[in-house]
Amino acid sequence: MLARLAENLFWAGRYTERAEDTARMVDVTYHTQLESPYGEVALAWQQLLDVLHLRSAYGAPIEPVNVMRFLVLDPDNPGSVTASIARARENARSVRELISSEMWEAVNRLHLVLGDRDLEAELTEQPYELFRVVRRLSMTIYGVASETMPRDEGWRFMALGRLLERAEMTCRLIDVRYAQLEAMSGPSQRLAGDTAEVARGPDRTDFHHWIAVLKSASAFEAYRRRYRASMDPADVVEFLLLERDLPRSVLYCLDGARHQLDALRDGRPSRAARQLGRTTASLEFRDVGELFDVGLQPFLEDVQEQIAVTAEQIADEFFHHQPGGALHAIATG
Amino acid sequence: MSGLLAGYTTDGFFDEVVDADGAIRPHYRALIDRLRGFTPEELERRERVRDALFRTAGITFTVYGDDAGVERTFPMDLLPRVIPAGEWRHVEAGVIQRVTALNRFLEDLYVGEQAAVRDGVVPRWLVHTASGFRREAFGVAVPHAARCLVSGVDLVRDEDGHYVVLEDNLRNPSGISYVLENRAAMTRVLPRAFSEQRVRPVDHYGPMLLRALQEVSPPSAGEHPTAVVLTPGVFNAAYFEHVFLARQMGIELVEGRDLVVEDHVVHMRTTQGLKRVDVIYRRIDDDFLDPVVFRPDSALGVPGLLSAARAGNVTIANAVGNGVADDKAVYAFVPDLIRFYLGEEPILPNVQTYLLWDDEQRAEVLDRLHELVVKPVAESGGYGMLIGPHATEAEVAAMARQVQDDPRGFIAQEVVGLSRHPTLVGDHLGGRHVDLRPFAITGETVEVVPGGLTRVALRKGSLVVNSSQGGGSKDTWVLEEEVDRC
Repeated sequence: MLARLAENLFWAGRYTERAEDTARMVDVTYHTQLESPYGEVALAWQQLLDVLHLRSAYGAPIEPVNVMRFLVLDPDNPGSVTASIARARENARSVRELISSEMWEAVNRLHLVLGDRDLEAELTEQPYELFRVVRRLSMTIYGVASETMPRDEGWRFMALGRLLERAEMTCRLIDVRYAQLEAMSGPSQRLAGDTAEVARGPDRTDFHHWIAVLKSASAFEAYRRRYRASMDPADVVEFLLLERDLPRSVLYCLDGARHQLDALRDGRPSRAARQLGRTTASLEFRDVGELFDVGLQPFLEDVQEQIAVTAEQIADEFFHHQPGGALHAIATG
Repeated sequence: MSGLLAGYTTDGFFDEVVDADGAIRPHYRALIDRLRGFTPEELERRERVRDALFRTAGITFTVYGDDAGVERTFPMDLLPRVIPAGEWRHVEAGVIQRVTALNRFLEDLYVGEQAAVRDGVVPRWLVHTASGFRREAFGVAVPHAARCLVSGVDLVRDEDGHYVVLEDNLRNPSGISYVLENRAAMTRVLPRAFSEQRVRPVDHYGPMLLRALQEVSPPSAGEHPTAVVLTPGVFNAAYFEHVFLARQMGIELVEGRDLVVEDHVVHMRTTQGLKRVDVIYRRIDDDFLDPVVFRPDSALGVPGLLSAARAGNVTIANAVGNGVADDKAVYAFVPDLIRFYLGEEPILPNVQTYLLWDDEQRAEVLDRLHELVVKPVAESGGYGMLIGPHATEAEVAAMARQVQDDPRGFIAQEVVGLSRHPTLVGDHLGGRHVDLRPFAITGETVEVVPGGLTRVALRKGSLVVNSSQGGGSKDTWVLEEEVDRC
C-alpha cells in the first residue's frame, strides 16, 4: 500500500489512543486530588504536565483548572484530548477508502459529540461524565474497527500505532502516580528497596491513589481477582507494567505491537522489529523488586525512549523511503 | 398534450423531445409513455430516491469563487436524454475525427516537423502565445501519439438540431464520474424505463481507460505496466472523480509527495519500498506538475517528472502542453487542421467564431457585443464569459475594454440557440437548454463512450450549463441499432 496512507492509519491509531489515555490521566489526577491540600494539588498537575512532556508548552503558572483546560480542550495544544481527536479524525478521513465506514462513523461521532457539549462548563463543574464519554466512545472506535475490518496491512499499521501509543501512555500513568507519591511522602525509600515495609501498611491516601490508577487503566477488577485485598504499590506497578494478559499493560501492548510488526515485515529484516524485541525482552524477565532498586522512574523513561526509537524506525522502514540517487539530492538540495 | 407535458412549449427552440408540430419524437415515445403513468406524487417519490442515492454516495463537486470550498451535489434531472443510434453514429464519427486530428497536430507540434505551422494552417505566433503552449514538452513523445488520452468535446445543437462543436477539452476534462453515477442512479430510480428499450451501457469506462493507459506505457515498462492516478489532493474540486476513477480501475490514487524520481525513473513510495510507475493519469495542471521545469513553488507536483517522461521511462497522460490545442482561438482553426492532417471534411462544424486580433473582425464584434458570446481563450468551466443578449450595459462595456486591452485573450462567437430538453421543474416539465460532452479515449485507437455528459442550464432561459455556474445533468441514453430501425 501507499506509504502515506499507511502512515495516516498509524497516526489515526496513535491519536485516538492518545485522546483516550490523556482523558484517563486527567481524570485520575483530578479525582485523586479532590481531597488533597492545595499545594499538593498544584504539584500533581505540574507532574502530569511533566510526564506528558507538555510543561514548557503549557508555560503558565499552575492553576488546576487551567491545566485541565489545556490538556482537555486547548486547540493549540496538539496533545489535548480534543486536538488529538481532531487529528485522529483528519487522518481517518484521508484513508476513508481503507477503513470501514462503521469505523469512520465512530471516529466522526466522537468528534461531533465533543463539539456539541459545553466542555468548558463541564470541566469546571463536573468533568467525570465528560471523561467517561471520551473513554466509552474511544473504545467504541476500537470495538467497531475490530469487528468490521479485515486484518490487512492497513489494519496492522493502525493497531501498531495504537499499541505503541498505549504502551507509552501506561508508562506515563505509572510514572506520574509514582512521582506524586514520592513528592507527598518525601524521598523514595518508601518504595525503592524495602518493598516489605510498603506491603506492611500503606496509608489510606496511598491506598486510594493506587486504586485510582488501576481504575484509570480499567484494571482494578482484574487486579482484585489476582491480588485480592492487598494493595501493594509494587504489585500495582508489576501488574500495569508486566501483566501479559492485561490489555493496557505495557508488556501486553509491546507484545501485540511486535506481533503486528512481524506480520508487516513479512520475513524481511527490520531494525524496528529488532528494537521492539529488545524492549519487550527487557520487560519480560524483569523482577519488579529489582526495578525499585535501580529506580522505577529512569526505567520508565528508558522504556518510553525505546518506544520512540521504534516509532522512528517504523517511519524510516515503511513510510519515508528515500531513493539514494543523485537526482533526488538535486531536487531537495 | 396531456399530463406530464400539458402546457409545455418549445418557444421556437429545437426541442430534443417534442418536434415542431408538437409531436413526441419517435425515440422518446416509450419513455414518455412510461412517465405519463406517473402521478406527481410518484415523481416526487422517485426524486427522493435519487437524492438519497447521491447524498449517500457523496457525489459532490467543490465550487470556487463566492462560496469557495462549499461542496454541492450536481443535480441529475429525472428525465434522461435519448440519442437514437443513427444520430449517435454521426456524433461518434465526428468526435473521433476531431480528436484524431488534434492528436496528430499536437504530436507534430511537439515532436514532429510542425507541418501545420510551417504551412501556415495555424499562425505560428498564435501557437506560441497560447497560454497552454509548453516549450518544455518539445521532444517528449507519447506512444501511439496518444496525447489526448481523455478528451471531452463539448457539443451543442443549434436551432435546426445540427450538432456543432462549442469547445474542446484536452487537458483534464472532468465529468465522466457523473456519467457513470447518473446511470447507476437511473437504473435504480426508473428501472422499467430501461427494460423497454435497449440503452447502450457506459460502465466499461474504467476498464477502457485502464487499457488505454497500459497501451501508452513506455516500451521499457514490460508486460504489466503500473499505472496510477495523480491527484492534487482532497481540496481539489474534482477530487471525488479522482477517487472514483482510481477505484474503477483498481489502481493507486497518488499525490505528488507519494512519487519520487530517481535516475529519470518514477517510483511511488509504498510500505514495501519504492515501486516503479510506468503511466501517470494525472489530474494536475501542467503548471503544477514538475517544480523543476514549471512553477517552482508547486508542492503538488513531482520534481524531475518531465525529464523522466523525456527519457521515455514514464508516460504522462494527458500529455504536457495539450492546452495549446484547446485554446479557444486555436479552436477556430481545428476544421482546417482536420482537412490538413486527415484530408477530410469536418463532420462536426464549429460555431461561427471571430478572432479579435484581426482589426476588421474586432471592429464588427465590438459593434455587436450585445448579441454575441465572448469567452477568454484559456478559461474553462464557464468562468469569465460574457453572454451579450443577457448582459447589462456595464458588463458589455467592461468586456469591450478587456477585448481592446488584450485582443488575443478573447474570442467572440455567435449565440447558438441551444436545443432544449424537458426538465422536471417543481411539479411540471419546462424546456431547459442542454449541451453534450462526449468523452473520447485515445490509446492505440480513439474510442468514444456512448453518450456522455448532458448538462442542463437549470435556470430558465440560461445558456450556461457548467456545474460551477448552476448547471445540472441528465443521464444520456444512446439507443442500440435495432431499436432505432423499428
